[in-house]
Amino acid sequence: MEDSNDFSYPGMYEIIFMKSQKFINAVLNWGRSNSLWPLTFGTSCCAIEMMTVGATKVDSDRLGVLFVGDSPRQSDLIMVSGTITKKMARRLLTVYEQMPDPKYVIAVGACNVSGGLYHDSYNTIEGIDRIMPVDVFIPGCPPRPEQFLDAVKVLQKLIRENKSKAQTHGKSI
Amino acid sequence: MENLSEKLKNEFKKDIEPIAGQDNLMIIKLNKKSLIKKLSWEIKRYFDLLYCLTVVDYAPVFELNYVFSNYRNNDVLVIKVNIDQKDFNIDSISDIFDSANWEEREAYDLFGIKFDGHPDLRRILLPEDWPGHPMKKSFKVDDEIRNWTGLDMKF
Repeated sequence: MEDSNDFSYPGMYEIIFMKSQKFINAVLNWGRSNSLWPLTFGTSCCAIEMMTVGATKVDSDRLGVLFVGDSPRQSDLIMVSGTITKKMARRLLTVYEQMPDPKYVIAVGACNVSGGLYHDSYNTIEGIDRIMPVDVFIPGCPPRPEQFLDAVKVLQKLIRENKSKAQTHGKSI
Repeated sequence: MENLSEKLKNEFKKDIEPIAGQDNLMIIKLNKKSLIKKLSWEIKRYFDLLYCLTVVDYAPVFELNYVFSNYRNNDVLVIKVNIDQKDFNIDSISDIFDSANWEEREAYDLFGIKFDGHPDLRRILLPEDWPGHPMKKSFKVDDEIRNWTGLDMKF
């Protein structure tokens, strides 16, 4: 009786393949982390702070976050800033599903972290992690523009270490 | 304004009773809710638009306030109608005043009042498959409401 699950050492070609894949992944992650194109999903006051992030004083272009097309089909980071009501949840999901993989989510403001001011309301999603996977939360009501840069830094670190939600859920490529 | 009040008194007699009034504000209570459409046709001659429709929840009785206004001067007319919770419908006036269309949809959305003869009585603010009418005082935020997202997906 022979079992099919006996262990065999990897050959030279497999080792080369594994090493090269690791190298390619590192290069891909480095590239992705340095060119995050955001989709700005602003529904209320946090969006005002988000505008400052793209402007001259707090220049997010330095980190590769270019506020360009604003089309979900060409962006890989969605900044959900503002209260998400239950009617808006479906619209948000529609936009989110149009984005190509891998996609990253930053939840901005107290409303998106826990419901914030509208906690226990009948018409507010209490934290958007109930409806979509979130990589970075930014607390504050509304947060300062510098916190956005910090969140981008954290997200870049996550992507380089293969720890973002898109990568751990197996949708990185 | 005085012309209108005298005309309404002659027309409706005991069915309306004036509650309060100032120089350009008149508040009238309508006792029979079935007469709202007839009353609106009379009001249409003096007032151009219904600019506000509010509902107040007084336990079993709900009070509808129709606020009419004018483009020409500052006249304001408020019509108060009481409807009972058991008989929870009233005639729509959306064919007389166009702005009543959305106001009535809002009253339907938040209080559940049925407007007979409304062309398009859907919810206007909340999602269409929302359970309940949240502005009623009997409405309570329970776990079903709290966790309702309207989505099938789970992460």
